[in-house]
Formats: sequence, C-alpha cells, structure tokens
Amino acid sequence: MEKMIQKTTSFERIVHWLLALSCLALLLTGLGFLYPQQLGWINTVFGGVLIAKCVHNWGGIIFAVSLVLSLGTWVPECLKWSNDDSKWLGMFGGYLSKEKDKELPPQGKINAGQKIAGIMVFFSGVLISISGLIIWLSTPTPLWVLLHNICALIFTVVVPVHIYLATAANPGTFRIMTRGDVPLYWAKKKHPKWVKEIGAE
Amino acid sequence: MPNADIKEKMSGVDVVKKRRGLMVTPDLCIACRGCQTACKQWNKLPADETTNSGSYENPPNLTANLYNQIHFIEKPQDVGIQWNFVRRACMHCGEAGCMDICPAPGALFRTEEGAVAFDKEKCIGCKLCVAACPFDVPRYDENDKISKCTLCADRISNGLSTACSKGCPTGAIKFGSRDDLIGKASTAGYTVYGEKDLEGLGVMFALKADPGEYNLPKPTYNASIALWDSMIRPLTVIGLGAVAAGALLHYLTVGPKDVEPDDESGKGGK
Repeated sequence: MEKMIQKTTSFERIVHWLLALSCLALLLTGLGFLYPQQLGWINTVFGGVLIAKCVHNWGGIIFAVSLVLSLGTWVPECLKWSNDDSKWLGMFGGYLSKEKDKELPPQGKINAGQKIAGIMVFFSGVLISISGLIIWLSTPTPLWVLLHNICALIFTVVVPVHIYLATAANPGTFRIMTRGDVPLYWAKKKHPKWVKEIGAE
Repeated sequence: MPNADIKEKMSGVDVVKKRRGLMVTPDLCIACRGCQTACKQWNKLPADETTNSGSYENPPNLTANLYNQIHFIEKPQDVGIQWNFVRRACMHCGEAGCMDICPAPGALFRTEEGAVAFDKEKCIGCKLCVAACPFDVPRYDENDKISKCTLCADRISNGLSTACSKGCPTGAIKFGSRDDLIGKASTAGYTVYGEKDLEGLGVMFALKADPGEYNLPKPTYNASIALWDSMIRPLTVIGLGAVAAGALLHYLTVGPKDVEPDDESGKGGK
C-alpha cells in the first residue's frame, strides 16, 4: 500500500459538497430563469417554475452559508500568494504542455490556479448572495439583476474549469473530495511545499 | 395568424404590424372616471377603500384592483386651479422591459394585437417587472401575482373595443388601429407622445403641451436591463458552452496529467 496523507477534513468535504450541489442547482435553475422561452424546460424538470424559484432561493441560502463556513478553510489559503504562484500561473500550470514531467514552480496546499478560482468564487459568491437576497426580498432595481448575472457569468466559466481540472484532467484528484486523502508520491509532485510544511516526508 | 410579411418583431415575439392601441387626449377628458368604472366592471375588480385626501382624484394611484386610473394634476392659478387629467395604465410598450426581464415563461406575453398581457397562473411573484417598468405600472395582488391592464385582450381579440374607451363619453380614450390613431391625432394638430419611443407605445397621448405638464416621463428602456439583455445574458450561455468545449478539446489534445507512483522526482513541479 502506498503511504497516504490527509488533505481535507470531513468538515471541509461536507462544506464543499454543499457548495457544489447548491451551486449546480443554482446554475441550472438560473439558466432556466435566464432564457425562459428557450431554457425554461430546465425548470420544468425541477418540477415547475414555482418549485424552481424555491430551489433557487433556498439553494442560495445553503450556498451562502457554506461560503461562510469556508472562511476558516480554503479561503485564507487562497489569499496566500508567493513568487512561485506567479511563475506557476505564467506557465499556465503546465496544462498547455503534453510533457508529463515538466518542472513547475513548487506549490503549497492549493496551487495558484486553484487560488485564482477560489478567490473568484468567494468574492463573486459574496456579491451574488447579497444581490440574490435583495432580488428575493425586495422590489429590486434592475441594477441588482445585472450584478447578479455578472457574478453568475463568473461562475459559469470558473466552475466547469474547476470541475474538469479536479476530475478528468488530473486523475486521482477527485478523491480529495470523497475520502480526503492522497498518496504521498502524488502530494510530493503536486504540492511539495505543503508536504514540507506538514513534515510528511 | 397573419402572413409573415405583416409581422414585426417586438420583444422577441412576432405580432401583427397593424397593432391595436389607444389614443388618449387629456384635453378632452372631463375626469368622469367612467373608464375606471368600465374597466373594473369588465375585469371583475372589486372597489378599494380609500380616504379623502382633499382631491377629487380617487383612488390616488393604480392598485391590483385598479388597472386604469385618472390622475389629477392640480395647478393653482390666480383664480381657482388648472386641472390636467391623465389616464394612467399599462402603456403596452413595443420594447417592453417587463417582458424581457420576466423569468417565468408565459407569465407576461404579447397578444396578436401587440398588447402585453399576463397569466397569473404562471407568475412567480418575483416583482422584477415592477422594477423594469418605466411607467410604474405593474401591481401585485394579495396572492403575490401580477395585476395590470391587458388592453382588454379578451375583448379586442373578439373584435370589441377596450372597456375604458367604450365607457368614455368624450372620446378622450379612443381605441383602434395604432397607425390610424396616429394619423388622426397628427391631422388634428396634436403631437403624439409614444409614437416611436420604445418601438412605439401601445397607449399614446395626443398633446398640445409639453409631456411634462401631464407628468408623462420620457419613455426610456432601463440601462441595466439593456446591458444585461444585449451582453451579459447571452455571454453567460456562450461562456458556459465555450468553457465546456475548451475542456473537451484540452482532454482530447493535451490530455490528462497522470502522476505515476514510481515517479519520485519529488522536488518542485507537479
């Protein structure tokens, strides 16, 4: 058996699943509201537009609460930035090259690309939650709808990229979201600074 | 449905080029409020309880039970006051912000005569149409469903005129083909408010004074909705599609990054 090290706690995984599932439901119902004539069928699948409205509103609450619960986990980690992160980003994390053993600047627990995604999700998440609450609970000026959709636009781009890189593009990564542990050799290659930091060598 | 060549696009819906509409001439209005009553009667709307505010204007504003209101503008003169009477109701804009922003399919819809009508069953009570309306028209009933003038969609589709115009004794509210109404008002020397604004209003005003004298706003399409509708909304779908296609393309060309157990290079890199 390979030596495994723990990357996420069960709390982190539960919060991430809440974020992921609520985000998915919000994106789907949101698309149904965006183009009611062309994409309204999505909300029919959810059980009709009134149920979709409930799913969207209360899913938004679950999302916002999960975002608050993330404040102590990945959010501070994403805000740490070093020279290595800038260099890694400059090389697009090696994702544009087929070369498997390409030397990349060493990364911490979260790599530079994940940090950018995390920061974008967090800040647009805060704005989309606030604008969403205003749209739900008041008679909003259309400016809030505009802001809500600009944030949603960020999500529709960042989230699929994040899902792809965490599943198909990097086999083995999805395990971090299910069991939370990763093989030591994997961690040494992907997150060497983190391995050093926790003294797992 | 009529032939394609007499259709025009309005808010994404094809309608007959010969739109029906109303021409309101405030100068002819005697504020009898027969239109308010006729409207309530046809649409089976109950009376609202109001209080005396010191003006003959009553009720003081549109409500979920009042689709059509005569607004009293009172201007003090040296002797007495000058009265301007303006009919307030849905203007049935050609370019209707309410329809564009509505997230519930079929809750607001365009009739063949070009009216903006609603289906309460399909309304989800989000109130976005209220915010989108440049004329402060849509109201919500006790069940949180939209309530407003439909240009008597059920009457005009059967060849009748609207209840308000039928009840008007002076011709201040005239129903007819939109083009004819514009032609007649222009010939009579009036300036037509709403002829071209927002792809033409379904309800127009024949005026001899400045629209401001009648508290009529400059018809404008909300700038936030315009930006959202023309750019942000399509970009959301395009962005999603582009990213999904990009990911698939990346997988098929560059391919996934496997990490082999025997790879112990370990230092740096991924």
